[in-house]
Amino acid sequence: MPARSMLLAGADERDLTKLAEYQAIGGYAQASRARAMTSDDLIAELQGANLRGRGGAGFPMGRKASLVDRKSPKPKYLVVNADESEPGAFKDREVMARAPHRLIEGCLIAAHAIESQEVFIYIRGEYLTEYEILAKAVEQARKAEILGDVNVVVYRGAGAYICGEETALLESLEGKRGQPRPRPPFPPVQGLYMSPTEINNVCTIATLPAILELGPEGFTNIGTPGSPGTVIFSVSGNVEKPGNYELELGTSMRELLYTHAGGIAGGRQLKAVIPGGSSVPALTARQIDVPLDFDSIGAIGTFFGAASLIVVDDRCCMVQLALRSTKFYMHESCGRCTPCREGTRWVVQLLERIEAGDGTTADLELLRKVCDRIEGKSLCALGDFAVWPVQSYFDKWHDEWVAHVEQGGCPLGGESSIEGIFAPSDQHTHSPVATVPA
Amino acid sequence: MSSPELVTVTVDGREVQVPKGTGLVETALAAGIEIPVFCYEPRLGDPIGACRMCLVEVEGLPKLQAGCTMSATDGLKVRTAQTSAKAADGQSATLEFILVNHPLDCPVCDKGGECPLQDLTFRWGPGNTRMEFDKRTLEKPIPVSPTIALDRERCILCYRCTRFSEGVSEDGQLVAENRGASSVIATFDDRPYRAPFSGNVIELCPVGALTSTQYRFEGRPWEIQNVPTVCGLCPVGCNTAVTVREGKVKRVLSRNHPEVDEGWLCDKGRFGFSHLYAGDRIADPLRRVRQRGLEEVSWDDALDDAERLLRESEGRIVTALSGSETVEQAYALGRLLRSGLGAHTAVLPEETSPALDAFRLPLSAIRDAELVVVLGDEPVAERAPIVELWLKAARRNGAEVHHAGDALESCRRLSRAKDELGNRLRESDRAVLIWSSEEGAGGAHLAALARELGFPDRPGCGAFHLPRTANGRGVADAWAASDDGEGETPEKIGLLVVSGDEAAADPNVRVLAERAERVLVTSMFHGLAAGWADLVLPGTSYLERDGTYVNLEGRLQRLRRASIPPAPDELAWISRLAERFGVEVDPFPSAVFSELSAKIYDGLPFGEVGEHAPLRTRSEAPAPQLPEEPPAPKGEGLRLIRYKALFSGPAIERVPELQFQRPEPEVELSGKDAEARRIASGDTVQVSHNGHSIELRARVSRGLRPGVVRIASEHAGDLGGMVEVSA
Repeated sequence: MPARSMLLAGADERDLTKLAEYQAIGGYAQASRARAMTSDDLIAELQGANLRGRGGAGFPMGRKASLVDRKSPKPKYLVVNADESEPGAFKDREVMARAPHRLIEGCLIAAHAIESQEVFIYIRGEYLTEYEILAKAVEQARKAEILGDVNVVVYRGAGAYICGEETALLESLEGKRGQPRPRPPFPPVQGLYMSPTEINNVCTIATLPAILELGPEGFTNIGTPGSPGTVIFSVSGNVEKPGNYELELGTSMRELLYTHAGGIAGGRQLKAVIPGGSSVPALTARQIDVPLDFDSIGAIGTFFGAASLIVVDDRCCMVQLALRSTKFYMHESCGRCTPCREGTRWVVQLLERIEAGDGTTADLELLRKVCDRIEGKSLCALGDFAVWPVQSYFDKWHDEWVAHVEQGGCPLGGESSIEGIFAPSDQHTHSPVATVPA
Repeated sequence: MSSPELVTVTVDGREVQVPKGTGLVETALAAGIEIPVFCYEPRLGDPIGACRMCLVEVEGLPKLQAGCTMSATDGLKVRTAQTSAKAADGQSATLEFILVNHPLDCPVCDKGGECPLQDLTFRWGPGNTRMEFDKRTLEKPIPVSPTIALDRERCILCYRCTRFSEGVSEDGQLVAENRGASSVIATFDDRPYRAPFSGNVIELCPVGALTSTQYRFEGRPWEIQNVPTVCGLCPVGCNTAVTVREGKVKRVLSRNHPEVDEGWLCDKGRFGFSHLYAGDRIADPLRRVRQRGLEEVSWDDALDDAERLLRESEGRIVTALSGSETVEQAYALGRLLRSGLGAHTAVLPEETSPALDAFRLPLSAIRDAELVVVLGDEPVAERAPIVELWLKAARRNGAEVHHAGDALESCRRLSRAKDELGNRLRESDRAVLIWSSEEGAGGAHLAALARELGFPDRPGCGAFHLPRTANGRGVADAWAASDDGEGETPEKIGLLVVSGDEAAADPNVRVLAERAERVLVTSMFHGLAAGWADLVLPGTSYLERDGTYVNLEGRLQRLRRASIPPAPDELAWISRLAERFGVEVDPFPSAVFSELSAKIYDGLPFGEVGEHAPLRTRSEAPAPQLPEEPPAPKGEGLRLIRYKALFSGPAIERVPELQFQRPEPEVELSGKDAEARRIASGDTVQVSHNGHSIELRARVSRGLRPGVVRIASEHAGDLGGMVEVSA
């Protein structure tokens, strides 16, 4: 399938950070159209489009909007999750940097649907440039009186992975320690400041102008029936041309990796693809003939996630990769619930021992069991995110793990490279747990 | 109110009907099944689902669910660890993770033997550990304050303590720092946790992470007794359990009375007990001998002396009461002095009006109110600390809480027909008035206001007067009931009988003592009466007495002796002395109470006062009068409110661990007054009146209205009335 622009439409030809340029290609016309509709009609239209959330869970956006308690006497809030903290994900960043007005227009549409006058865009703290572009765009729109009675606030996070989890994001936005809340109550019923809250990913919201332009039918003609529309795929790791590719949903993974991203770098062999950001189970090289849509990816035991494909070539040691991944999750565990807080540290300790060649067969068994004891028992999904990669590397490349124990070290004999996977290797150095001498 | 909808929930195959929305932990309990918890504590607000101890299997949901965050809905089917292998594995996993870094130092841990983690591990946990790495070690113990020690290695991060600090006492001082496995409990910038309710976090802690510095290494659970009694340090009368080991009081715990204290204690009630063991505690009677000062005498000699003092005064006796005596002591003293000697004159520390009996409500009604008005500028927390927590709970529940300002003035204002707030008080079904001021005739004006607002017809509306003394009302009633006679106040005081330390420390009583020919003092401490008493008899503390107290609600509560006093108690010698004047006074509180109860408590037997005493029903009371127009305040400037600080008084002065809680030498100003004088918090300022001035630190207080400044009495010197504050 050819590339198709929707979220980034016009961004290659024009400087869409400028209001006039965005308006020249019809920008904000859909917001005006939406505002002429009743909120019920607008929600019906969004539900008809079956837009699935781009943040990772794939929950239909229209359905979520319909759950917002609009009859509540409390204010209704729209919160845009621009925290984009998943390793491997950088699609929201591109939208905010190159088409900020499309996001703002989407906000106005969504705010109208849920009858909200208060919009918060919670942007990842490290995205300083994107923050400045977005804040400037909001200011332009405000001065041009496009926002109307809607107040849009761009709020910078402080650099915590957990604040990408929606309830932790809301806590952080309220000025509290960023830790998840139990659900239910879900945000559409009780979210920000205990009021009904719609919370969506940047790409979800930025797709709304296209839905209004095409109509639900036109929109569902793109992509697959279960996953309509386009998605910006972030491709990173060992490919020739890493970067963002906006494609229709349903494009095959092989096509994305080999046609668009130029294939495996340096002519090496593909070993693994982590399809949805670092937290999801990995696929082997033999599993890549799969359409990139929510249901097809789900059917083969992993997750579409944040559409962030991390490509791993045959130099990589999967034990080493597991260690890097788990260290990240240990470091980012918020400390709220027991299994994630204590379990991730224990898993790191076990992985370090195995990776160093000091592990035993019993350690391998224990590692798998500890992962199972974390899975499904934590307060938010971070506990699962920490162990899904380990479990999948362990199960699919099991020989490699056994070899670490039997050979007393890495079978790749020091040739292993995880350069460029998840992050530059000088980041994610092991952050030691506070140890003060007794 | 309509009765709540009942729903049917099945827990481990047992059907149970509970009101819709009941928490799942409580629902299971109703079915006779325990869901174990660590972080769950309904008194701390909404559940947070952090510890994962309560994992249960819910029909229709693939993952295990945190039981504490679920509530009862119709048809809900739940299987706990007792019938679900999956749930049992989940709980075992939680305990395994908790214990991965928990030091198993139970043999030297204060919590050992009364530790929820220990108990739940025995019942649900894995029998051994699979963790082979070194456990995390951290600096310990960390002095969170002089009263609380923190062991971060033992901490299981249930966040109970931080939730208390943030959501109950609202002091916000205890926080979690760092993230993940590095998370620790801390105070901001390692400053001491200085707040009136800090000690509750020790009891909330489900492990030995937060321990009492007073109780550290002082006792093991199998060698202590917990005596159910009530606190006698303020008029709230919090229910307590006093831990005793080998006859000595070691700590004070809360004993949840849901209507009185909800299981919270202030630090004065919790840590104040060690005054029992003060260095200057009096154990033997003391007699004044010229030139040599006070010397110890035998009890026989002391009683002879006392008899002589009483006889020689020929009835010209004035009694200064403390308001902290038990009902029985006050009655017995009245029998001795009034019936035996015709000495009817008593000085009470404050008035106590019975008029409020018509507006009785439990303190918990404050939390359930929709409109609360506080009259008076004295800080509620300093007079009756737990009431402040009820006020905070009311605010969190959505109640409107107004601070009306000057008590007498707002009393008159609210009673007027056109007053807006007054009219809303007239219409509300759940309104509460709280009187926090020295003025007001012991609650009589408050009762008049409540009557004027129509509260007698609305059982959900009530009024609370916050007195200064712990049992002022009980003492006044008992003294009044002890004899029917009346007598004139003697012009020349032959003998001043000073009953208890609060009276001995009262400057007004000192003035009387200077006028009296002879002075007999009952006191616990040497320092108080040494200079001016002719005879000192050893006093006892509320922790050493059996008897009853009446709290500010009008609730009669039972005091139990936790520890034996170093000398015979008051009833014992009053009884002996009364005999010499032909009056029969029983030395046992139960008998004294029966005699008194027949007169004023409807014959309620001593044994039925109860460990969780009920509130007596509202009774008719004489109609009191609203206050008259006050004279215009003299002079210009700011009105000074002197208040007795919570952490003050003879007992607290003798508790070393509580000295950091003593009031700061500071003057509180409103933001407006501070701005007008260009004063900022922390500035050194002069507070002056009539050319006399003292130097204090300024604190700008949001809770204070313009025109008023506040200083704790012990720092206010001789200042009074209107003052000026200058930088």
